[in-house]
Amino acid sequence: MLGIPNLVDNVASNQSREIFWDKDVYNLELERIFARSWLFLGHESLLPKPGDFITTYMAEDKVILSHQQDGSFRAFINSCTHRGNQICHADSGNAKAFVCNYHGWVYGQDGSLVDVPLETRCYHGQLDKAKLGAKHIRVETYKGFIFGCGDADAPSLEEYLGEFRWYLDTIWEGAGGGLELLGPPMKSILACNWKVPAENFVGDGYHVGWTHAGALMQVGGELAGLAGNRADMPFEKLGFQFTTRHGHGFGVINNAAPAIHVKRDGWAKYLADTRAEVGRKFGPEREELYVGHWNCSLFPSCSFLYGTNTFKVWHPRGPHEIEVWTYTMVPRDADAETKSMIQREATRSFGTAGTLESDDGENMSSSTFVNRGTITRNGRISSSMGVGFEGPHPVFPGIVGSSFIGETSHRGFYRFWKEMLDAPDWKAVKANDDTWDSMFTNRNYWNDKVDAAE
Amino acid sequence: MSGKQTLAGLDVQSAIEMHYRSEVRMLQNGQYREWLADMVAEDIHYWMPIYEQRLIRDRRPDPTPDDAAIYNDDYGELKQRVERLYTGTVWMEDPPSKIRYMVGNVEAFDAGDGEFEVYSNVVVYRNRRQLEVTVHTLGREDKLRRVGDGFQVFRRKLLIDARVTQDKNLYFFC
Repeated sequence: MLGIPNLVDNVASNQSREIFWDKDVYNLELERIFARSWLFLGHESLLPKPGDFITTYMAEDKVILSHQQDGSFRAFINSCTHRGNQICHADSGNAKAFVCNYHGWVYGQDGSLVDVPLETRCYHGQLDKAKLGAKHIRVETYKGFIFGCGDADAPSLEEYLGEFRWYLDTIWEGAGGGLELLGPPMKSILACNWKVPAENFVGDGYHVGWTHAGALMQVGGELAGLAGNRADMPFEKLGFQFTTRHGHGFGVINNAAPAIHVKRDGWAKYLADTRAEVGRKFGPEREELYVGHWNCSLFPSCSFLYGTNTFKVWHPRGPHEIEVWTYTMVPRDADAETKSMIQREATRSFGTAGTLESDDGENMSSSTFVNRGTITRNGRISSSMGVGFEGPHPVFPGIVGSSFIGETSHRGFYRFWKEMLDAPDWKAVKANDDTWDSMFTNRNYWNDKVDAAE
Repeated sequence: MSGKQTLAGLDVQSAIEMHYRSEVRMLQNGQYREWLADMVAEDIHYWMPIYEQRLIRDRRPDPTPDDAAIYNDDYGELKQRVERLYTGTVWMEDPPSKIRYMVGNVEAFDAGDGEFEVYSNVVVYRNRRQLEVTVHTLGREDKLRRVGDGFQVFRRKLLIDARVTQDKNLYFFC
């Protein structure tokens, strides 16, 4: 890896194919991205009561996330401190304690070691249980979404989300009720590098009309016009793309939130009933975002479609495989029937048997596995669509691109990926806070565009 | 399945097995429209629930059709899934992939009024492109009714054995 000096070229907007293939790159990602970033663990709605727990992953690490008696959330590594056995094998449940199957060591809800069999008889009272708690993981929540971080030096979750909260508040708070997740998740293995789906969700409006042409023609409605990527579509009037300092980004298609849903009455009515309050709280620009369809990734490996409401985590399994977990996002204060219908529609389109998601599998895996060939792998891949048609915006924070079909969000994603991989620690990342967006050189793009429109 | 159920009898059992064999043939041949029209009732509920891994002591009920499911479709929704395969723009199916079903352990019970409850095991082999092979095993719980000379399914519950699907997708019919 260290022999490949230019994994990401921010000037030419391309990347080495090694980023999808090389094991050393992957190992560095585990250290410098996954062990340092805030990773999605769950949502309060998945473990609503004290004692409720779920098991999940942070990259390749197994984690138990538990709702404490005081209402807080704690997470710890799902491995016994005795001989390393996995402590808990259930997907979810309610437990005051977790017992390791091997020799019966007992861990509390916070991961502390509370009991071991034959402690007096065979350990002679000499076992220092206080030093043998399961490894603790930092946990912070934002609007009910729970994240974990393996790095004590990482900024707070709020700082990590940073200016992207301006966007997330629009939907995760919305008119007040916010969003929650419905499980249990679908889980599947896909033979691809984790970044292929992450980049696809963060900024790939381009593939929709081609990859999903068949499904779009079946669904009909607002997005059917995208089928075939016809040149006569006024894409610049249909939406935007956004990217932010820590790599989070999304594309939005205006007025299309429930477009993929066939039976959408409840969800469409919910949006119609609540959008005015969102406009009052957050202003007209964010009211527009609230009724738009988003394809979004939170750096590094969590993605969702707001509107369609599928919610995904791409857990890496080495450089060439991921385990995909898929939940549904629903408004907390929607009625039960609406929630259930959103879940059915989101799953029909983007579940394991999704009418759209099933189109993508081969794109993900073949973009990874073509690089088995050395001559192939020594090439580069491009994300230059719309370079220069983007910049800082007078209203929207971060960097904004002029169309949802563009690669602004790819550029922002890989810009931060490179920054994290280059940085020995968080201090080195923070040192770039004021200059992170200097690669987006058309600083007057939006001012000129707004002036020209007036 | 309870002990109270009445076996459908050998003639019906064998007619249902024949029915399943033709169903498999249609699905293997890509005759999805014919399958839907001839073998699936318009009041179908086609359901593949998601079962979590839970401890035995967990008292929560099994999933219902109001809960998360990989398939949870009525007739119109199944038709949408079928028609997508005829658009000519499903790139993953061009060249087409192969699928083969092994249906076994068919047990048919008489539910009265020309309706039958039928349990079966299904092994699905999928091959695509050059080397891709995936295998799925499922339990299948059907309710069939007599229609003309044959049967149509009006409830189909598919119990997939693997918690984590080791395949790109589950876009196939059972």
